[in-house]
Amino acid sequence: MLRKVAKLLYFDNWNVLIIVFTEMRDKLRKWREDNHRNSEQIVDVGEELINEHASKLGDDIWIIYEQVMIAALDCSRDDLAWTCLQELKRQFPGSQRVKRLAGMRLEALEKYEDASKQYDSILQDDPTNTAARKRKISILKAQGKSAEAIRELNEYLEQFVGDQEAWHELSELYINEHDYGKAAFCLEELMMTNPHNHLYCEQYAEVKYTQGGLENLELSRKYFAQALKLNNRNMRALFGLYMSASHIAACPKVNATVKKANVKYAAWATNQINRAYQLAGRGTKENKCSVKAVEEMLESMQITMS
Amino acid sequence: LSYFCLFHSGAYCKMLLHAAKYPHCAVNGLLVAEKQKEKKKDSHSTPILCVDCIPLFHGTLALAPMLEVALTLIDTWCKENKYVIAGYYQANERTKDFRPNQFAEKVGARIAENFSEAAMIMVDSTRFTMGCYEPILTIYDHHENKWKCRDCNADCFEDWCEAQKITSALLEGRSYESLIDFDNHLDDLRNDWTNPEINKSVLHLC
Repeated sequence: MLRKVAKLLYFDNWNVLIIVFTEMRDKLRKWREDNHRNSEQIVDVGEELINEHASKLGDDIWIIYEQVMIAALDCSRDDLAWTCLQELKRQFPGSQRVKRLAGMRLEALEKYEDASKQYDSILQDDPTNTAARKRKISILKAQGKSAEAIRELNEYLEQFVGDQEAWHELSELYINEHDYGKAAFCLEELMMTNPHNHLYCEQYAEVKYTQGGLENLELSRKYFAQALKLNNRNMRALFGLYMSASHIAACPKVNATVKKANVKYAAWATNQINRAYQLAGRGTKENKCSVKAVEEMLESMQITMS
Repeated sequence: LSYFCLFHSGAYCKMLLHAAKYPHCAVNGLLVAEKQKEKKKDSHSTPILCVDCIPLFHGTLALAPMLEVALTLIDTWCKENKYVIAGYYQANERTKDFRPNQFAEKVGARIAENFSEAAMIMVDSTRFTMGCYEPILTIYDHHENKWKCRDCNADCFEDWCEAQKITSALLEGRSYESLIDFDNHLDDLRNDWTNPEINKSVLHLC
């Protein structure tokens, strides 16, 4: 009787271990697919997975080594990064992809010249290696050389015009330099190739709003509205619609028809915002203050706008 | 004329938790103080107590619309709680970059319009440690349209030892993983930017 029970228990424990292991592996995969930069968590889960369950991972282990290595660099865990790098070097000798990881480690150690040489050697063998070129631009960014980074990135995009990540990076570099016109251009490229992406629409609207002026405000309102059409739960787009419509309505230059239309848009947005807060606040005491604050904020803005 | 800004432990620790949650991003936020009653003519001796910190954004900071929403919303919330927006903090994307940029100066100036003793605070990430051995802020005061730098030391705190102890403990415990900023709130309205859980933890450690 006791032996049977013991066997059952053992079987159950084993199942639990399997569940834990698959959960960890799936978490890592999800974070990889979503491109999450939650490096501390990746290191926590990944290190345990590598140390305790390497044999069960099969071929997944190589991509996990890569993922954990990059996260380890983020967390200044050079010991862990080095271990992963060695495993990858052993398995894939002469690989460009692993060479790039070695370069990233040098970057993390702020050995920018050595890192640059590493990427140059990749580019000598393979001048079309986009990853190496982008790492070189990242080095410029890390050194605070924004003007050079922008120049290099523009050159890169002339060759690789379809690289969305690069267009997005460039738009951010321009925004940080307060060059909103050029940032808008980058986002226009992204919207053209991704017409259903509500985030690009919304970011474009934010850039136009920041640029200022009546024409840009109207454009921003249109794109906030478009973002909402693509995703009616985008709160930034909803707030943005409210703000842009309110500002247009309050502008002394607009005629009565435009003013009336924008007051309507702002009123619609107000209702939607209130609804969204009511829905979110249901049940929680803390959120009551948020709901109240939003209501009062919208009321007070309407008073100044009318 | 010297303004004097004292940090409450909770305000200081939330600033650092925000920076710790997004080490690869620029972050910014607001500081709020208790609204003073009518000031007497010669009262430069009354220090302003920064009682709380509202973390705002992470990543690309230099866009206007959501900042305007946050400022207006938090202003309304302040009025209900007899607070006033008293300062702005920013930690830049690059660790070694601890000087205020044009954007920080603009936001600081905007806040100074409503509160003349507003402070602009930059976080110096190069001195950021788990042990929090020294205050890592640089404070800028608005004088005649220019920002003048003032040193931040233990005197700038209501109780530096307490601030150090609490901040260090919360960093060790990875409380920053649950810190909510206004960006998180816009992603999901149920996320509460007043951070009641962290406030509770701070009180427990006091």
